[in-house]
Amino acid sequence: MTAVPVATKPIGVRWNPRRYFGPLWRHPIARAFLKALLTVWVTTTITFFLIRLMPGSPVELKIDELIQTANGALTYDDARAIASGLFAINLNAPLHEQYLSFIWSLLHLDLGKSFLSSGTNVTTIILAVLPWTLFSVGTGLLLSFVVGIGLGLLAAYRRNSLLDRVVSTAGSFVSSVPNYLIALLLIVFVGVQWRLVNFTSMRGAYSSGMQPGFTLDFIGDIFYHAALPITIYFLTQIGHWILSMRSATLSALEEDYVTAARARGLSDGRIRSAYVGRNAVLPLVTQLAISVGFIVGGAAIIEQIFAYQGVGLRLLDAVRQRDYPIIQGIVLLTTVSVVVANLAADLLYSKLDPRIGRAGGAAG
Amino acid sequence: MTTAILTRPTLGQRVAGPLAALVGFLRLLARRPVGLAGFIGIVFFLLLAFVVPFFVPLTNDPNVGAIYQPPSLAHPLSTDFQGKDVLNQIVYGGRDILLVAILAAFFSTVIAITLGSLAAIVGGRLDAALVAITDVALTVPQLILLIAVAAILRPTSLFFVAVILGLLQWSNLLLQIRAQVLSLKERDYVEAARSLDLGLFHIIFREILPTMRSYIVINFVLAVSQAMYAQVGIILLGLVPLSGTNWGIMLYFARDQGALFFRDSLWYILSPIVAISLVQLSLVYFASALEEIFNPRLGGA
Amino acid sequence: MPVLSVQNLSIDYLTRRGAVHAVRDVSFDLEKAETLAIIGESGSGKTTLAVGLIRLSPRGTKVTKGEIIYTKNGITNDIRKLDDDDLREYRWAECAMVFQAALNSFNPVISIWEQFLDTAQAHGIKDRHRVRDRAADLLDLVHLDAKRVLPAFPHELSGGMKQRVLIALALMLEPQLVILDEPTTALDILTQRSIIDLLRQLRQKLGFSMIFISHDLSIAAELADRMITMYAGRVVERASVEDMFYRPRHPYSVGLLRAVPRVSGALGSVASIPGSPPDLMRLPKGCSYAPRCPYAIEACREADPPLLPVDTPRHEAACIRWQHVAQVLGSNAEIPVAEKLA
Repeated sequence: MTAVPVATKPIGVRWNPRRYFGPLWRHPIARAFLKALLTVWVTTTITFFLIRLMPGSPVELKIDELIQTANGALTYDDARAIASGLFAINLNAPLHEQYLSFIWSLLHLDLGKSFLSSGTNVTTIILAVLPWTLFSVGTGLLLSFVVGIGLGLLAAYRRNSLLDRVVSTAGSFVSSVPNYLIALLLIVFVGVQWRLVNFTSMRGAYSSGMQPGFTLDFIGDIFYHAALPITIYFLTQIGHWILSMRSATLSALEEDYVTAARARGLSDGRIRSAYVGRNAVLPLVTQLAISVGFIVGGAAIIEQIFAYQGVGLRLLDAVRQRDYPIIQGIVLLTTVSVVVANLAADLLYSKLDPRIGRAGGAAG
Repeated sequence: MTTAILTRPTLGQRVAGPLAALVGFLRLLARRPVGLAGFIGIVFFLLLAFVVPFFVPLTNDPNVGAIYQPPSLAHPLSTDFQGKDVLNQIVYGGRDILLVAILAAFFSTVIAITLGSLAAIVGGRLDAALVAITDVALTVPQLILLIAVAAILRPTSLFFVAVILGLLQWSNLLLQIRAQVLSLKERDYVEAARSLDLGLFHIIFREILPTMRSYIVINFVLAVSQAMYAQVGIILLGLVPLSGTNWGIMLYFARDQGALFFRDSLWYILSPIVAISLVQLSLVYFASALEEIFNPRLGGA
Repeated sequence: MPVLSVQNLSIDYLTRRGAVHAVRDVSFDLEKAETLAIIGESGSGKTTLAVGLIRLSPRGTKVTKGEIIYTKNGITNDIRKLDDDDLREYRWAECAMVFQAALNSFNPVISIWEQFLDTAQAHGIKDRHRVRDRAADLLDLVHLDAKRVLPAFPHELSGGMKQRVLIALALMLEPQLVILDEPTTALDILTQRSIIDLLRQLRQKLGFSMIFISHDLSIAAELADRMITMYAGRVVERASVEDMFYRPRHPYSVGLLRAVPRVSGALGSVASIPGSPPDLMRLPKGCSYAPRCPYAIEACREADPPLLPVDTPRHEAACIRWQHVAQVLGSNAEIPVAEKLA
């Protein structure tokens, strides 16, 4: 009996991206771009196959519908041709060719045409509403981030004080309740029971008859209309930022360099901003990117509740109307937006943290 | 000299062990009042949704004369737009929602465990592919994808809804499990197990996973809350064919019937909101108490 | 007047289970241009003491009694009584404390130059050019290339380089007193050598008083003029370095010396001290070293012995049996103790 076990093969072999992407992989910014591209590509592929291969595929449904409405005036092939035009897919070709031409159209920013307002580009339709969502979501996110990290920092510095307890409890409470419920509560109490705000006048992205432009009037108007969604995004996100910043600050306060800085006689203010604050915020910046995806998702419901004409509301309309090219387009575009936001956050992070993005390590 | 013979544990011993563990756990929990409150909340709602309906009959008859009555002894939570008792609907309304949420969380946990450990153990291309897919899954806005999928697939059964929800939630846990397994697989006891030829299955389920129990439990609780969020969301939007009564459907009808804007229907709309919120809060607080218990380093936060 | 005079300093950690007496009744004096080594094992209270000297003790620590008297140009101050602004002025301009380089003493997200600038601006020096010149001079003094080091970030420097930068930074405001906590621990042997040489050079050139804390006796032998050994929060022996090495009078000091292996000694000439340090929350009655002491008698366990003067000048030991110890060692011998006990 051998006492020593035979050397076992290492479990699994790590696939080394370095061999495939070479020097590009080492540079973290290039790596982030590559990942972004990959994500977009995978999403488009999945969406393509989802639409095309689903049982009772929307494409086939459309063909049937066209044939039915034409009452025999349309042959199957003709219907197919029309459908392919609507979907930006060439239905006659084999699947992989369809896929390639789909990708090709995408690169030309052609997402097909809407079923309903036939002839209108999906891209045009979506781009008309996407800015509103980005505006409201972005503003809400930014506000909640800034205020949240301020409060979180304060709470950490005044640990276990009344302020800390109130802020932490309120934060965790508000961030746990679903955002649409808070929206409903807002309407019920602020609008209906207490009659503080007139909600009907706040519907839509801007008041009808207003001329879009960079005038003060218009800008004030869009903020007025976006106030409710922004408030909800703000309220439901801020809890997370407060708690994250609080715990990050508490960790930073324990670090040796803070003690060393105090030993050097640095003022509390300088330590709070450049030594504690900057280090505590770093992990939160990565979380910022992840939040974007989450809010954009929830935006659909919020926009419907407040009748705010953003991408979410358009998606729901498209769902109701079975306008599949638009659904496909929105899924793609929102994913791309999130990917871009992630990328921006990665870039921001590499700018803020000198330990990332430099090829160096410890010198001799 | 007799040597002690290994005997199988008696029934009493089998029960006493876990019971003692439970008591110990409750004692730990008691030191964190918020977590304890969460735990009680969860137990309360589980009982309400699954046990109470056995004792309280369903009163499903519309009573046109009693629309939006203020709360009274007969109708403690007032009535809805059809004159039906709201309290009754609340009692019966939790079951479907909780069931779907728990099922969805279960699915996503199973997927995460399986794929996560597989990715870590097998490595290579499979690992890279799974990580890439997970990254994508994390990036795509979940609710939007859920809406699109619900629109295309039109799920009619709750089970189907649970499956779809389960397919959206596994990303985070998968990455955590993969990381843990990666760090553990080089450890000595795993090497020992391998050299004893104990098989991949055994290694995953008997050696590695027991150490990650805490992660998995915490993640499960949070997954239930996220599944509930998504579920009520799509019901509220009217994307799921509606049958029966549940809290989400109550909310949908409340909006649909304009109950939002009537002063008298306050209780009708508040009740499901409060119920859902309480469940969510309980889940989240319980999960963070669990985190504190399993990770004592975080104490004092 | 000594530059620093510490009188009966006691520091407690307040924990949920009770007070931990980390530093108990510590007293010592430090003269101008003198170097004092504080030696003790982990948990002896030496770092708590050092951090307490600039009042940087962490939350939950309390100085229960004592005075820290600092004198400069004839003006005396009790550091414990300084208000916040004066305290910040005292820190670094009068007394600079250098932590281990292995710990991250530097803010990882700003450059070394900015940290120099921060320090200067915190003490009222606004002129960037002056600071720039001063930083370059200081880095030169510690044999580093300013052009390379200043724009760098902490993670780009090695441990030895960081320790040098810390020393350079410490000297920026020409303090009278420099405290170094474990200056050579966690550095490799060659780097240790260069740091010790550097400290010696700087001290000669600039004439500051130095306290350094270590568990390493050899650095004391190289750099210190006087030495104190600490055990369980108390000073157990206070002497010149020569006396401490050649004529120790406290059993703990003897034990420490015995534990240092000699390059030319016989194998097996190293002995560790059996047992472990006491629980600082529940100290035994009497001398805290008694449980491990080979010379302990009944009387030792009755009362904590005070520092008693022994047979050489400016030399005290907290042991009632110091004469016995001296006898065992054979007093007045010139051969180092370690060799004798081999």
